[in-house]
Amino acid sequence: MKPLMSSLVVPVIALALAAQAQADPGAGAALFNDQGCMECHYTEGPSKEKTIDDQLAKTGPELWYAGSKFQMPWLVAWLQDPQPIRPLKYNSINEPNPENHPALGPQEAADIADFLMGLTSDVVETGVIEPKKKDRKARLLFAKDQPCGACHQYPAKRKVKGGLSGPSLVGASARLNPDWIYAYLLRPEVFKPIKMMPVFRNVLSEEQMRQIAAYVAAFK
Amino acid sequence: MMRFIGLIVVTLGLGTLAAAASAADGEQVFLFYCAQCHGTGGKGDGPNVTKFLPVSPRDFTDAVEMNKLTDAHMAQVIRDGGPAISKSAMMPGWVDTLNDEEIAVLVTHIRKLCDCPGKQE
Ligand code: HEC
Ligand code: HEC
Ligand code: HEC
Repeated sequence: MKPLMSSLVVPVIALALAAQAQADPGAGAALFNDQGCMECHYTEGPSKEKTIDDQLAKTGPELWYAGSKFQMPWLVAWLQDPQPIRPLKYNSINEPNPENHPALGPQEAADIADFLMGLTSDVVETGVIEPKKKDRKARLLFAKDQPCGACHQYPAKRKVKGGLSGPSLVGASARLNPDWIYAYLLRPEVFKPIKMMPVFRNVLSEEQMRQIAAYVAAFK
Repeated sequence: MMRFIGLIVVTLGLGTLAAAASAADGEQVFLFYCAQCHGTGGKGDGPNVTKFLPVSPRDFTDAVEMNKLTDAHMAQVIRDGGPAISKSAMMPGWVDTLNDEEIAVLVTHIRKLCDCPGKQE
């Protein structure tokens, strides 16, 4: 038993040290301030918005649970090459996305991503949702029985369908943590207490929320 | 008649209190939640009205059509969504999102948009 233990522990420590050499969350926190990121994003939970005015005063999405919401590889890549996520400008329904998000170099992106991935919410239960691509029931729920597709772009047979007011769900399989999608449907008030998306608590069963979350989590 | 006046006074009193405390502003609530589909002016031309939306949202400025609906019917569809009145599921229910006061000010705001009293019950 002993030799097995140490043979496991040593590589784990080595890995942790290697990761630390590559990215430094302490440096990331400092950079986040230096780069002015906090002018548009808050990183301390819980959510603060109580009224529509509070939400409209924000100039960027809250990041205090970024580590529960995003996938690390996507985050590192996006910070260097920030392609639009929301088709429309944040908090607007009239203007297109200005596509002018600040971009970072590789080292800064790695450090800030490391810092952001450390910001988690204990409301998100891990290991609950397994992405599931082919699910007829979930597809009907998402696109026909519920209005998800009316507000979100999503992939459908080599083309993109859907409405424009919500963040695009194209590429959700690389961007979002499947467990966060379910947690967000189940307890949206924790993450986004004031938002344009309806709350589905008495509309969908928890089983249906898990089905939809698994389906969205597979979007390419 | 006296009871009726009493009721108005009570409602007005509550109205001012509510305005001070939570200030549910019909126009703001409409612009935030509804305009994404119904359009800022209520013409049914919000940014979600793309070729992928299978039904068009109602034009709230069409007084003839809007006069066929009662206020109670509108409150019901806002609360429970299109399927509750055998209409499209693309009209979401807002039961878990909006409170009764917000739904009431929305109905009043839509009546302003159509400039019509609506079908009386
Ligand atoms: C001027 C305001 C502003 C500044 C400064 C800013 N952001 Fe953003 N950020 C936004 C907006 C708006 C979005 C939404 C972009 C979109 O949907 O395409 C966003 C999106 C993001 C996202 C994805 C969040 C999500 O929920 O989709 C991350 C992560 C992020 N920003 C990190 C940063 C970092 C790190 C910095 C500092 C280098 C930074 N931002 C600086 C406004 C800003
Ligand atoms: C009326 C429009 C609307 C409908 C209907 C709607 N959403 Fe949303 N959704 C939004 C908006 C707007 C946001 C962004 C909220 C914010 O960040 O303030 C959002 C956010 C999300 C997010 C988080 C995305 C991100 O990157 O932050 C997911 C996942 C999501 N919605 C899934 C769904 C599902 C599943 C359904 C159907 C059960 C649905 N939505 C129905 C408008 C809508
Ligand atoms: C995701 C898009 C969407 C959003 C957001 C939305 N609606 Fe609708 N609404 C529709 C559609 C589509 C219809 C038409 C349904 C039909 O004719 O089958 C509709 C119809 C209606 C009707 C008419 C019902 C009838 O009997 O004809 C009312 C009233 C209404 N909506 C109010 C609202 C209010 C108030 C809000 C904001 C709280 C809102 N809607 C948000 C899509 C939407």
